[in-house]
Amino acid sequence: MSPSSLGSEVGSSSKARSGHKARFEAEDRSWVISLWSDRFGIPEEAFFGYSFYRMARNIWAFRGPPLPRMSFETVGLRIVSLKEDLWKPTTSAIQVFGSMATKNVVRLAERDAWEFMAGGTLEISADVEPGYVVVMSGEDILGCGLYSRGKLISQVPKDRRLQAEAGDILCS
Amino acid sequence: MESLETLERYKDIIPDFEGFLKVQSRPLPTSIRINTLKIERSRLLKRLDAAGVEYNVLEWYPLGLRLGPYERPGKMAEHALGYIHVQEELSMVPPLALDPKPVEKILDMCSAPGSKTTQIAQVMENQGLLIANEPSMIRLKPLRFNCERLGITNVAVTRYDGRSFPDYTFDRVLADVPCSSEGTARKDLKVLLRSGSRRSMDLQLLQVRLLRRALMLTRPGGTVVYSTCTYAPEENEAVVNQALDLAYLEQFYLPGLQSSSGLTEWSGESYSEDLKLCARYYPHQNDTGGFFVAKLIRL
Repeated sequence: MSPSSLGSEVGSSSKARSGHKARFEAEDRSWVISLWSDRFGIPEEAFFGYSFYRMARNIWAFRGPPLPRMSFETVGLRIVSLKEDLWKPTTSAIQVFGSMATKNVVRLAERDAWEFMAGGTLEISADVEPGYVVVMSGEDILGCGLYSRGKLISQVPKDRRLQAEAGDILCS
Repeated sequence: MESLETLERYKDIIPDFEGFLKVQSRPLPTSIRINTLKIERSRLLKRLDAAGVEYNVLEWYPLGLRLGPYERPGKMAEHALGYIHVQEELSMVPPLALDPKPVEKILDMCSAPGSKTTQIAQVMENQGLLIANEPSMIRLKPLRFNCERLGITNVAVTRYDGRSFPDYTFDRVLADVPCSSEGTARKDLKVLLRSGSRRSMDLQLLQVRLLRRALMLTRPGGTVVYSTCTYAPEENEAVVNQALDLAYLEQFYLPGLQSSSGLTEWSGESYSEDLKLCARYYPHQNDTGGFFVAKLIRL
């Protein structure tokens, strides 16, 4: 799986068929781990105890025993979404595993961090490969960003952004 | 206040009933739980101190903080980053009564919006099997949102009717069941307009079936916590009383949090003496909402 300009190619091209009840299927462990180690240098040990599942175009990481035979809506944390031939790490996964990244990490000053968390695009030069990056500020792992040609585009989901619009669910 | 009239039927069972009525129109203090899966407690407290956030640590739970009246935790970066979760103080009690252990198999039968689920996941150190069941599609969204934001990795979400949840053997089950929610009146007094003995009796059959299914799914010696946010004995003691052929009650007490004993009779009906072991939490005792918690051990 060689990195392309905006992520990494996906080894399997299987797609979920619409009209059927979606199911979680076991995903190849070494392939998932290689995505994270190739792009971010995150070691295999970071995923000790996790098993990986795929449903439709998403990969999930679950840290528990083999699942009982039931119908699930989610299984653990959604860590990757697959788009065409690219893979995209989720902000949730970056926040959990990003602390172990050794490359393609962008560090922001505090003022820029707020802008990033608000969903903005920053013009910065960073010593990273083009594509998805771990974005940090101080001790905080902010989430996933997309870096290309001096621009860092926030990938923080709308409902997780700061200064969210009225109507967004911010708390239970 | 007209809506308060529905509470009049509790005047003989709630201590300092005048104080109980008076507190209903006072706003509920805002409280948060520290999500230690993402940040150490000391680091979080340091950040709040640096930001000048007004808070008091709960006497009975070091991860629970009561905030000053002007704090808006939902707007804080610490919330967006999943370091804190906005959660009513008493809502932190049932997971403590459940007392989950890492690597156990646990079911949260009525899970959304996931405050208690994510608290249980935190005590389990994000590993083991925690099934969060929520039949309502609409309520699934906040549950998923909270699990993602808080970085939960050991929760699998299902959408079964809890009364017919598939066969499996759990170590512990939380049955935080749908109820008339009288204990949330400080958030919105309107909840009282619908409450009353008739509505409570309507809910009772569902609650009994949920509790009995929870017990059937639990291994002998395992724990089931039954909780509601209502004062209605029809939805509390009367429900637990109908499950004592499957389990026995164990006393649950948190030092620093005042509670009253469960009732052994109500409205001409009498219950097992053991029902005294249940805990009733009243809003004027701790300046909180209202809650009922029963801890049961499966026979």
